[in-house]
Amino acid sequence: MTVSFLPILAVDVTGSVAMVVIAVFCLYKAKLLREMDRDNVVFLYMLWISTGFTLFSISRSFGHILKQFLILTSNADIWDAISPYSGSVNTVSFMVVGLTTLFFNQNWQINEKILAGRKKLEDTHVKLMDLNQTLEHKVIERTERLTSSEHKCRRIFEQSLDTIIVTDADFRIMEINPAGISLTGYTREEMIMKKMTLGSFMANQEEWESICRKIRAREFILNEETEILRPDNESLLVLITGGIDYGAFGCARTFHFIIKNVNEKRQMERQIAQADKLAALGELSAGVAHEINNPLGIILGYTQLLLKEDHEHRADLKIIEKHVQNCKNVVSDLLSFSRKGSSEMTVVDINKVVDGVIKFLSNHSDFRNVEMSLNPYTGDRLNILGNEQELSQVMINLLINACHAVDGKGKIDVSTRRTDQNRILIIVKDNGKGVAKKYLSKIFDPFFTTKPVGQGTGLGLSVGYGIIKRHRGDISVKSTEGKGSTFTITLPAEIPAE
Amino acid sequence: MKKNRPDICSRFSARIAVLALSVLCLMKDTAFATQLHARAEGIITHQFGHLFFLFSMVALIFTITGKDLARQKGWRLIQYAAFFFILWNLDAMAAHFLDNQIDAVKTLPVSFACIKIIARNDSSLLAWFYYALKLDHLLCVPAMIFLYRGISKLVDEQRAVLKEKGGSQ
Repeated sequence: MTVSFLPILAVDVTGSVAMVVIAVFCLYKAKLLREMDRDNVVFLYMLWISTGFTLFSISRSFGHILKQFLILTSNADIWDAISPYSGSVNTVSFMVVGLTTLFFNQNWQINEKILAGRKKLEDTHVKLMDLNQTLEHKVIERTERLTSSEHKCRRIFEQSLDTIIVTDADFRIMEINPAGISLTGYTREEMIMKKMTLGSFMANQEEWESICRKIRAREFILNEETEILRPDNESLLVLITGGIDYGAFGCARTFHFIIKNVNEKRQMERQIAQADKLAALGELSAGVAHEINNPLGIILGYTQLLLKEDHEHRADLKIIEKHVQNCKNVVSDLLSFSRKGSSEMTVVDINKVVDGVIKFLSNHSDFRNVEMSLNPYTGDRLNILGNEQELSQVMINLLINACHAVDGKGKIDVSTRRTDQNRILIIVKDNGKGVAKKYLSKIFDPFFTTKPVGQGTGLGLSVGYGIIKRHRGDISVKSTEGKGSTFTITLPAEIPAE
Repeated sequence: MKKNRPDICSRFSARIAVLALSVLCLMKDTAFATQLHARAEGIITHQFGHLFFLFSMVALIFTITGKDLARQKGWRLIQYAAFFFILWNLDAMAAHFLDNQIDAVKTLPVSFACIKIIARNDSSLLAWFYYALKLDHLLCVPAMIFLYRGISKLVDEQRAVLKEKGGSQ
């Protein structure tokens, strides 16, 4: 059968050329695909398969075109020689394509694994980011709470009116609040740099050792009363409460103390108790004095009547008169103490009274070896509304007591002052033997004396106390045994009418 | 992390290359080995090649269907390409069978524009069938066109994905 060869030739040649062109385009597109996601194994596979098809198309098309050319140019024998090689290359190329295609499934699975791994990684990353963010939020929140808490604690520490002290295990000061600095009188630098201990503030070391023993044994102390000594030698009564802190996160053991200044409160309590006691004693004394005064007056009257006559017991009557007179003096003193007496009040210059008393006493034989000094207030006149004679009596009593305290050979310093509260102070200070602590609360009691029997009635300070109280003033004493005493009289200044 | 993936790809590519080289070494041309081989070995190997190619294309079609990729136009077009390659392989195998294996058909050039097809038993049906088989480019060119369009579509889809990712970021 003879047929036209042209359709076969046309399809063969154009088809071969088209195959090559399309295969190259496929390769280009596959390369583009691969460039878009270099991690995608399927796209790599597409590149491989496209490469295989391109090789297949080129080898096949080259063979076909060459075949047609050689046949048409009557060189069929040459084609016969080449055709096995062309066929073999062709076979190899489509076998490569087939082989590559068979790996598609594996390729896909690998790609799936990679994508799943990537997804897992991304999810984990998101979770981690979320966790990180949550953690950051929590850290910020905790830091804010911690800062707020620290601020509160710091405010309590800084603003507290009571002393707060943190010490190490050996009671060396580590932290002290401003109230503590004010109470102790030392600077923070002094305390911390000099490694001062809490015990170094204490007036009584035995008491402090007892407190230390207690806190070590019980790990706390509660309201222990003791005295602290300031650098200016002023002692203050305080209550100490403290406890041990074992610390957190491996911190060293510390002690925390709260020190409450109860000096003024205790002093006031003592003064009130003293005033109450003396008021009661005053009432009693007034009653007794009144009851005794009348019989004494009768005894003295009759004794003096008998003495006017020439009596055989004149000497005995003189003795009776003398002792009755003494009794009357005591009764008079008692009445002075109990404020039952009356006196005329005038404007008195305190400096003048003090000066007069010192001048009067300095000539006295007991004061011969006593160094007396006067430091009067040099401002305005220290006028008060009072009884000059009574005030002089108080000063005389105080100075005589001071003279006895210094055993007639010491130093007595008298000074006067005016305070901002319009009060006048008279301070009598000696460097004598002082008053024992246990007697301090009793020295204004009537008939209390430490002098030998017969040397003092124990009414001097009581009378002074009564007089000062009658002048709406106050009298107080500070004394350290062996170092001396300081009596302070406080009187209200007279305010001149404008 | 990113660095490891190309490593996997390149390792995989290397394996493919080794395998391909191994196949090449086992091809018809290795008949220069000490064992003597008949001339028919060439066409049989070539036919096996076609069969292998055909089988791989069938596998590709089923794999694409099995992974539900046919829903994407790109992969569907690649599936069509595989189908046309199957047809082309069948065409080529039939043609080789007729003219090379059983010598049922022979062609002789008559002139530049004509050829004479000599079919066994002068069967004109066989001759026309053989003539149709000779127009095999009508199957492999559409296959290549589908392959090109399929890959192009995948490129477009990937571009859209990247654009979407870029937009969402």
